[in-house]
Amino acid sequence: MSTASIIRIALFAYLAIFFSYLLGPLVVMSLTAFNSAAFPSVSPWACYTYEWFDVLFNDKHIKEGIYYSVIIGLGTVALSVSMGLAASIVLTQVWAKFRSTYYTLIIAPILVPGVVLGISTLVFWDRFGDFIRAGDGSMLDGLFHNGIFLTILGQSSFIASYCMLVFVARLQRFDPGLTEAALDLGATHTQAFRKILLPFMRPAIASASVLAFLASFENYNTTTFTIVKYKTLTTVLAQKVRLGINPSISALAFIIIMMTIILALGFETYRRNNARKEAVRLGKAKESKGFLPGFLTGNPAAIVLVLVSFVVISMIGTAQSYSPQQCKAEVLAAKKAEVAKAIKALKLKRTIKQQSDSLKGPDIFTPDPANKKGSFGGVFDPNNLTNEEPAKPEAPAANKKPASGAFGGVFDPNNLQKD
Amino acid sequence: MKKKMIFSEFFRNNGVIMGSALMGLVGFWLIFLVILPQLSMLDYSFRFNLPPADVGTAKDVYTLSNYEHLLYGSDKTHATFNTVDLMVFVRTIIAAIMVTLFNIVLCYPLAYFLGQSKGSGLARLLVVLLIIPYWINEILRAFALRIIFGDSGLLNETLMLLHLTKEPIDFIRQDIALYAGLGYAYILLMLFPMYNVIESLDRNQIEAARDMGASWTRIHRRIVIPHAKPGIVSGATMVFMLSAGALAAPQILGGPSSLWFTQLVYQWFNDSLNWQQGAAYAIVLLISTILIVLTVMRIFKVNMGDIGK
Amino acid sequence: MSSGVAVDLENVWIKFGDFVAVREANVNINGGDFFSFLGPSGCGKTTILRAVSGFLEPSDGRVLIGGNNMAGIGPNKRPTALIFQNLALFPLMKIWENISFSMEVAGASAKERRKRADELLDMIALEGQGDKLPSELSGGQKQRVAIARALCANPDVLLLDEPLSALDLKLRQHMRTELREIQQRVGITFIYITHDQGEALTMSDNVAVMKAGVIDQIDNGHEIYDRPATPFVASFVGENNVFRGKISQISGSEAVISSNRSGELRAQITPSQVGKMNVGDDAMMFVRPEALALGESDPASKTTVSAKVLNEEFEGASFSVFLEGDGGKQIKMAMPNLGQKLEGHTGETLSVHYDANNAVVMPAGELASE
Repeated sequence: MSTASIIRIALFAYLAIFFSYLLGPLVVMSLTAFNSAAFPSVSPWACYTYEWFDVLFNDKHIKEGIYYSVIIGLGTVALSVSMGLAASIVLTQVWAKFRSTYYTLIIAPILVPGVVLGISTLVFWDRFGDFIRAGDGSMLDGLFHNGIFLTILGQSSFIASYCMLVFVARLQRFDPGLTEAALDLGATHTQAFRKILLPFMRPAIASASVLAFLASFENYNTTTFTIVKYKTLTTVLAQKVRLGINPSISALAFIIIMMTIILALGFETYRRNNARKEAVRLGKAKESKGFLPGFLTGNPAAIVLVLVSFVVISMIGTAQSYSPQQCKAEVLAAKKAEVAKAIKALKLKRTIKQQSDSLKGPDIFTPDPANKKGSFGGVFDPNNLTNEEPAKPEAPAANKKPASGAFGGVFDPNNLQKD
Repeated sequence: MKKKMIFSEFFRNNGVIMGSALMGLVGFWLIFLVILPQLSMLDYSFRFNLPPADVGTAKDVYTLSNYEHLLYGSDKTHATFNTVDLMVFVRTIIAAIMVTLFNIVLCYPLAYFLGQSKGSGLARLLVVLLIIPYWINEILRAFALRIIFGDSGLLNETLMLLHLTKEPIDFIRQDIALYAGLGYAYILLMLFPMYNVIESLDRNQIEAARDMGASWTRIHRRIVIPHAKPGIVSGATMVFMLSAGALAAPQILGGPSSLWFTQLVYQWFNDSLNWQQGAAYAIVLLISTILIVLTVMRIFKVNMGDIGK
Repeated sequence: MSSGVAVDLENVWIKFGDFVAVREANVNINGGDFFSFLGPSGCGKTTILRAVSGFLEPSDGRVLIGGNNMAGIGPNKRPTALIFQNLALFPLMKIWENISFSMEVAGASAKERRKRADELLDMIALEGQGDKLPSELSGGQKQRVAIARALCANPDVLLLDEPLSALDLKLRQHMRTELREIQQRVGITFIYITHDQGEALTMSDNVAVMKAGVIDQIDNGHEIYDRPATPFVASFVGENNVFRGKISQISGSEAVISSNRSGELRAQITPSQVGKMNVGDDAMMFVRPEALALGESDPASKTTVSAKVLNEEFEGASFSVFLEGDGGKQIKMAMPNLGQKLEGHTGETLSVHYDANNAVVMPAGELASE
């Protein structure tokens, strides 16, 4: 075997490892959304089900969180895009000697831990309110302790830096002569900005807005401090995940992943389509008169996009009629049998142990079957177990959601009727 | 005098309205959202946690007690150190450094591969695939790993199926899940800066070196890595800062007995409601991470201007 | 033509920190003139243009347009329109929108703007192209759009910053004529910046030659070419043979220099230096290649140089003959192609002579490096 082919194999192995590290967890998580088991898992696969989507759609905390996340996202986009744009324009003009200091200042928020930004925002506005003596329950006081207001400010403090980077990249290709030409032709500075620079920056503003919205939407570290009494999607999720996990979160993740894929493919399609149009316009490619509609030709992203959309639509379609009742009943029966078997085996084991123990002497045994996991595991010292509950993610999960769990017929009939 | 001249030139170039708008926005951002909040937090960290009635009274004086607490705990004699919190701090910093190094090693080959096969169909597909997890919520990504690393998670099930282990391994308690999660969380912030600089490397340089008989390791050591240095340091800075400041991953994937330093800050704020103490811990985290980053940048002779490219 | 508006620079200095970009510029441009600033890149000519258009304030001195001091008046308030080196057409606007931009910012209705834009498109022979984007036009068409856009603002003074430099040779020559025609038609003052002497000489009423921030000479094209005021002008504009030496004799406007390597040579003192030069001064004498001819050796006339023929270059309309005088002195001679053959002379020593009226002498100074 030649060295070249060894390198090739090594490369593909490496790519496979890298991408399974990156994408594997997401795929597994998505699959768990369709397993009827109460604890998100793929292997033992119980039943294919959509019930977790129902649970998700009926979760009022998540709905509320999404609502506030969107409001905060919009506010953050407005504030951070305008601040980032202003900062990038100033960067092009600032005196050469100050430039690196100034750049350090406007890039620093990216590097400051989000926790620190959240705390400092919270502390500062609290004291700012005291400072201007707004502590009398007036509107300003309310504003400075309002989680939405504080979160927008806290998030914008670093998201503006991301926006700034997007704008700087675009501004580097801007010819300042265009602004001068406009001024020379009698435009005021405001007109020159609105009619020349702003249209030029429009694509960058669009991508910075998307970036800012997504960054705001998924921010946790800053938000968890500044949100105070409100909740966003991320704080709700963090709460849920910490208290105990259930597959309705997988269902949410699946929806977000599908939306991301569709958006990414849509963007890629749009770009390819534009590139193709440009090529046609410049006479480099011919307008095809093929069998496929124009935007699909030579555009793998578009084809994948259509396929993905088709799968999603058919999924939603089947979800209306599909019912896993039958399968669930079978699984339940199987499980019951298994549990019975396990208990039997356990009893047998215990009797043997008891006998051998009683042979050794009068020792205490553990009669509580709920604690059997711990004695089974046996590898840890028991202190840890009694101290900290979340170590066993299964236990709280099972406790929390017994009604919506895999244990069949009990689940709320409302959920099914609702849509 | 000189300052005035700069400003007058600025307003000349931008007009009064646009100039004021630009100045106002940048000023608001830097002063009210960055500088004053940080100073305010610094000031807070030197104060006692007083009931609201006592704030502003004679009792409201500056103190080092919040910082002393990190060093000595509640032991007023300063005879013993606050080993619990200090250990958490040291562990956070070391683990963040390890996560950063792990990310460099894992990302470099891919960044090189993507950067050098620019424009090819496979590279474009891979970049799209990379962007997708980038936009999935940090918490959901941690959740995904928790599903995998859980007691009856996929990994344990697989290991048991293959008879590699008889009983489930507690990845969470052994912090394996946490490190995997941290490495996972910010890996793309390492990859993209690296990819961008390697993409700008002229392929001819590599060909020329190969032509002169340089080995692959030498080509990377002498040509690719020096060229990619700003990107590597930029990515490493971001990954280090974000890992050290991570909160979601430790909360979700962290074992019960081992805390991350940000979790201590969180506890002081949200559980103990001692903002002053929390601010002091946050300041310690901020300053120590910045010092580490500046030292690394000094050692590798990289400028602040390279960050964020 | 005197209907246009005069532009005056009075003692203008422009400094960037410690760097002096323009030193004591005094220029009076008559209304309706086609006036050029000529100089190598980095000589400060674009800086002067920016001071006239209002993008820069002079550090010292005044800029007057039509007799009004322009201090403190921004570029959008001055009666000037600038054509940028890269044209600076707005890439996202259609051609007609580009042309009528000055009306748009003044608040004119779309109908009015379209009408005026179409008139101007007719003028620049681009009728019917108004709905295209700048990227869809050729270089020469963009050029004309930029001119139309500037003229649409009805400026009193049109400023042009090397607008032809991006075009190829043929188009550049064509645009020279066209620009001159447009200027004569609209009758406003044109101020033209260029490093190309051909452009400056063919189009301009007057030319200012600049070197390192200093204006060396302001005059019409003939005078600049025939009576350069400084060694820099003499060597930058056109080609010249330079002879260094000391003044040995002065009579009125004529002087004799005793050159370092080619003996005594007679020439006219450049007008600005008449009466200012003295015997014994370091001097330079310039004589154009085309002013040289082959002839009999006549040392008494003090207008002959003997030199050995090195080689010749055939350039179609003319020959260039390269000669080597005493002490290795390089001399270039140009002769019109009248079918004669010179080949036989290579290696021979010949006598080259000129008419003293076609040679100028001036105090020694710095030559253009090119």
